[in-house]
Amino acid sequence: MIELTNVTKKFGDKIAVNNFNLHIEKGSLTIFIGPSGCGKTTTLRMINRLTPFDKGNIMVNGTPINDINPVELRRNIGYVIQEIGLFPHLTVFENVAIVPRLLKWEQKKIELRIEEILELVTLDQSFAQKYPLQLSGGERQRVGLARALAAEPEILLMDEPFGAIDPINRLRLQDSFLEIQEEIKKTIVFVTHDINEAIKLGDKIAIINEGNLIQYDNVSKILSDPANEFVENLLGQDRNIKALSLKKAKDYVLKEGFITVLDTEPHENVEKKMKEKNIKIAFALDENNHLKSRFVLERATNTKKQKFIYNPAPWIIERQNNINETLSKMLETGEKQLPVVNRKKEFVGIVKLSNIFEEVNRKEIISEE
Amino acid sequence: MNILSYYFNNFGRIMSALEVHIFIFLVALSFSIVIGIAISIFVTQEGRKKIGRIILSIMGAAQSVPSLVIIALIFIFVGIGIKPAIIALVIYGLVPIIFNTTSGILSVRPNIIEAGKGMGLTQNQLLWKVKIPIALPVIIGGIRSSATIIIGSATVAAVIGGGGLGDFIFIGLRMQKPEMLISGAITVSLLAIIVDHIIAKIEKKVVSKGLQIKKT
Repeated sequence: MIELTNVTKKFGDKIAVNNFNLHIEKGSLTIFIGPSGCGKTTTLRMINRLTPFDKGNIMVNGTPINDINPVELRRNIGYVIQEIGLFPHLTVFENVAIVPRLLKWEQKKIELRIEEILELVTLDQSFAQKYPLQLSGGERQRVGLARALAAEPEILLMDEPFGAIDPINRLRLQDSFLEIQEEIKKTIVFVTHDINEAIKLGDKIAIINEGNLIQYDNVSKILSDPANEFVENLLGQDRNIKALSLKKAKDYVLKEGFITVLDTEPHENVEKKMKEKNIKIAFALDENNHLKSRFVLERATNTKKQKFIYNPAPWIIERQNNINETLSKMLETGEKQLPVVNRKKEFVGIVKLSNIFEEVNRKEIISEE
Repeated sequence: MNILSYYFNNFGRIMSALEVHIFIFLVALSFSIVIGIAISIFVTQEGRKKIGRIILSIMGAAQSVPSLVIIALIFIFVGIGIKPAIIALVIYGLVPIIFNTTSGILSVRPNIIEAGKGMGLTQNQLLWKVKIPIALPVIIGGIRSSATIIIGSATVAAVIGGGGLGDFIFIGLRMQKPEMLISGAITVSLLAIIVDHIIAKIEKKVVSKGLQIKKT
């Protein structure tokens, strides 16, 4: 999809990018990571010709990018930067419509596309008429992603897109970004300096230092087999634990062992149903499949009598939460199983503590040194 | 009392002087806007930012040159009459427009320009669809001060034969007729206030709502 061959870039005497060879696969999310000034952003900007390169060749879909008009090239590659750069004088709708309008789409098609894309990034349609200054940081980030995806480019370049977001919202944005990527399967090149973000998001990681490509491989391969000391240091002491984060809650979702009911159903009925089917957990959903409450049948420790418990605001796990996050939420709440939702907050199933313990136990994911 | 009766007795003359004044003002301001914005766009193009900064400091300094100096210089090099007066006013009116337009365009945040380029906007689209709309409040601010300055300086330009309400002030001064002088001065002041108000209204209309939002 994107092919870098012997690419070199100098700024004056300083070599910013030294003879890179890199093949970025279609539909994959490739991370460029390294300390600031290592050449990762320069490499990214070379792909859409914002920075020219001195030597070598870059091909997109088999065509050398230097043969493509830079303006044409950029209209077909989505681009998201850390500060997002939304145009403050335009509404969200107009911001997202920029590239479709440049490509002369029909108005009707643009309207439909924007409706669809706002839905994809989980922004309510009422946001279309708001201005960037009326949005929060996370909302702006979503609009930035929507804008980059609006004209359905095959390739997306992202330069530390979540860098300016606070840690809690960053995790949330990462989760929904992964869900979106699972759906759209774009070829994404993503620059970050945060190793946890790289491990969480990346299919492949390119580790860059002082203009040299140190290692380029699958995430699990990099964790199990760091090329040198630099990579080891970058990964940190706890790379065995980090490897756990490669597994996500969605890998453990169970579709059985519980029943679901409509949230309008009287509690007595729910209790009766549960006892009939001999099932200890029930979830109440509304008509949009959104989780509303939870019911538990529990044997009291002293009386051994079955108690029926109604829990109006149950804890939830998101599909993209990794095992570390899932486990700590369970330990924190003391629950043996928790419901799982997707980015639209729709109920998808449950995860069980016992399954996760098995995984942690089986910890031969990475061999001991 | 004197002033009022003078005003009503000479209402026709005052109004025709006002007409001339407005004519001079409109012609001078239009030229200042067109020339000023053209120069600003030229000096703020990619790769010319240095020139832009130099122009900015020259304009900053030029703002403190008294209008009489420019008018006197034009008198020496061009002569007397309404044309030289307009030329002097155009030059003087350029200063705030170039200053504001240049600084407005140069201060559009780099990430916004980067994003625009990255999406495939051409230099022209970047200028007309992004930089100028974002700099518009500052640009109109420049036009507003230019308008006020031109109306004020046009009275001074009467000394080189520009005509307009300045005639009332200078003749009133020379003939020691305070009612004549004050009638001219009040009319000029009202004109300046009304024009400023009109431009403020236009600003509210043409500047994007997104730029007028107070941050919450």
